[in-house]
Amino acid sequence: MVEAYYITAAELAEKGFENIPDELMSSKHMIYSSPATLDFNSPGAKGFGVKRAGLAIPGSVMLLVAPGCCGRNTALLNELGYNERFFYLLLDDTDIVTGRHLTKIPKACKEVCDSLDYTPTAVMICITCVDALLGTDMERVCRKCENETGVPTLPAYMYALTREKRLPPMAGIRKSVYGLLKPQKRRGGRCNILGYFSHLHDSCELYGLLKSVGVSTQELSRCDTIERYHELSSANFNLVINPEARYAAQDMEKRLGIPFIEINRFYRIDKIRNQYRLLGQALGVQFEDGKFYDAAKKSVEELTAKHGAVRYAVGECVNADSFELALALTEYGHKVSEIYGTVGERNFFYIKKLAELSPDTRIFTNLSPTMLNYERKTEIDVTIGVDAGYYHPDLPNVPFNDEEQPFGYEGVSLLAEQLSKALEKEDK
Amino acid sequence: MKKLLKFISPLAPDDSGACSVLYELGGITVICDAGGCAGNVCGFDEPRWFTKKSALLSAGLRDMDAILGRDDRLVAKLARAQEQLGRAFTAVVGTPVPAVIATDYKAIERMAEKKTGVPCICVPCDGTKLYDKGEEDAYLALFRRFAQDKLPTEKGTAAVIGATPLNTGFAKADRITEVIKAEGFDEVKCIGLDSGLDEIKNISRFEKVFVTAPSGMKAGAYLKEKFSLDVTAHGCPIPKGYEDKLKALAPAEKTLIIHQQFTANTVREIIGGGVCGTFFKLDESAAQAGDFHIADEEDFAQKAQGFDRIIGDISLKRALPDFGGEWIDLPHFAVSGKMF
Repeated sequence: MVEAYYITAAELAEKGFENIPDELMSSKHMIYSSPATLDFNSPGAKGFGVKRAGLAIPGSVMLLVAPGCCGRNTALLNELGYNERFFYLLLDDTDIVTGRHLTKIPKACKEVCDSLDYTPTAVMICITCVDALLGTDMERVCRKCENETGVPTLPAYMYALTREKRLPPMAGIRKSVYGLLKPQKRRGGRCNILGYFSHLHDSCELYGLLKSVGVSTQELSRCDTIERYHELSSANFNLVINPEARYAAQDMEKRLGIPFIEINRFYRIDKIRNQYRLLGQALGVQFEDGKFYDAAKKSVEELTAKHGAVRYAVGECVNADSFELALALTEYGHKVSEIYGTVGERNFFYIKKLAELSPDTRIFTNLSPTMLNYERKTEIDVTIGVDAGYYHPDLPNVPFNDEEQPFGYEGVSLLAEQLSKALEKEDK
Repeated sequence: MKKLLKFISPLAPDDSGACSVLYELGGITVICDAGGCAGNVCGFDEPRWFTKKSALLSAGLRDMDAILGRDDRLVAKLARAQEQLGRAFTAVVGTPVPAVIATDYKAIERMAEKKTGVPCICVPCDGTKLYDKGEEDAYLALFRRFAQDKLPTEKGTAAVIGATPLNTGFAKADRITEVIKAEGFDEVKCIGLDSGLDEIKNISRFEKVFVTAPSGMKAGAYLKEKFSLDVTAHGCPIPKGYEDKLKALAPAEKTLIIHQQFTANTVREIIGGGVCGTFFKLDESAAQAGDFHIADEEDFAQKAQGFDRIIGDISLKRALPDFGGEWIDLPHFAVSGKMF
């Protein structure tokens, strides 16, 4: 029995992105769907997987066309009030080989729409790995459904098989949920924030900063009616705050003529300030973000003053890039003992930086079967992320995984406050 | 429309059933999927996932693995996992992806055994069938592979087949062993629940084998034939508190009990009557006149007519919007994911 696999930041940085060890690459080994990472590993799982995300259009319903196993955990969403919006057309063993179910979908759609005492704004047809392999032309099936019911119908691809492709399921569904929007006259001073299926915290400075320069914001998750949803296409530009929404933004640029600007979620205050400066330049304005910068800085200083150089374990089931967050905490003078994360091209830059400041930081991957044998062998005071909390049930944990999204300076302050509270509780 | 579910979420599928049987046996169980099926099993259909560790892994298939049928890669990954975890056996559980590409499970078994040096069994699920089918196939595959010799019978011992959380709503064997012990046995083992591979290997030592769900009947018949074991169908135990609740019920004219058949039989015995309806296997030898199988939602709506009391999982109630009688909740994990 081998110990849980890890590599230090220094070792990984030295190997370089081209030589990432197989154990860190999910395609090279069996995948451990650890209790820590269930939401993360399955595209249909809890949180905003494809199924729940597909219902982001207000008033829409979903028909899942799949073998029973693909829709099984949808019962979890019933507790969130979704049970009246989900319908299932179950496939049998002949369907999955011959594809004969495709001819039944329009009839099933009709029956679903007829069974409701309202007309849905859209029917999302969710298909899974079976149709990925059959090469189903879902756009065509959707058009047939639309002719049958008169209700706009869109595809939702829950193709776990293509998770590491150019268009993974969660990027594809982001495109789908904006698919009903029609071109209209764009209004200056209006932008859409694209990125997550839930909105930013009401108190996030991004809203205020944009408002201060005459830009109002719209977000899909704040659209409670189909009318408000359709107003999204009147935006002058899209602000993409999560790379997974880039494909949707590109599609909106092509179809609706809405250009986009991409920014990132950072936890390093100086990077946040720099990003606002660049955003201001792109918009031809200057943001007055000094007070937000000061507040975030103060919250980090207070955390350090109260608890000294804290030692962390940082997970990936968290509203942050684990590696960027670990780098931020290290730059603030704290120590990150362990990270549980997925190494990719996007975050390798942070690993290289981290290797300079904290070469001994151990990098684990949640998905390695060896994590069954994980035992703590470093000093940790507090854990960040649901997964990190799972590995260390005896330590204080800040899940930092709420549906409302932290962003910018406010995200830093929120995290610092929550960490401080968790550590204070432990002290007591 | 047949197979269209408007009110009920899909029931536990065959791959969940197979994994449920294999969960505590100490092997490496690989769900031959891309990640979603493993997420469903671990995150929803396996209540022990959060309390008892098991090497239940996803093959992490990608589209090109499926399109090109790269079984050698699957076996190489399995061998790597075996090197890391060092388990007594490996098991591969099918899902829709290998079903679509017609994976040759026999070949995988042979290749895996050669590469890992430990026994491998495959359970060819396809995700379109229900959990009891997966359990049935898994039990049978395990006994065929691991129960080899007829051992001397040990008096006062009993084994229970069918005691999975999906059938029973229990994540531990306590209540089941308590009930069977009360019937005069000193040692009771639930196969795959608080017990490991040894009880499968040594199944022929038991004086009596009780089957508490239809999913165990085929394995029971196999053991009877191979080792001449004394195998009997047995009502599936339910919690004592629930039994008391049932005993306190006022009489009803016509009661429908919906669950896996052997739990429904237990309830019928306690309340002294009723008809069993099940979405799962209906074993004729343990059925009474009037008991029926339910094919889908439409069938359920038709067959549930005329009853004034239904004892069944509360999540099914949505499918009978016009039902005006009394509904007593009888949780079934394979339906709603709710334990007793």
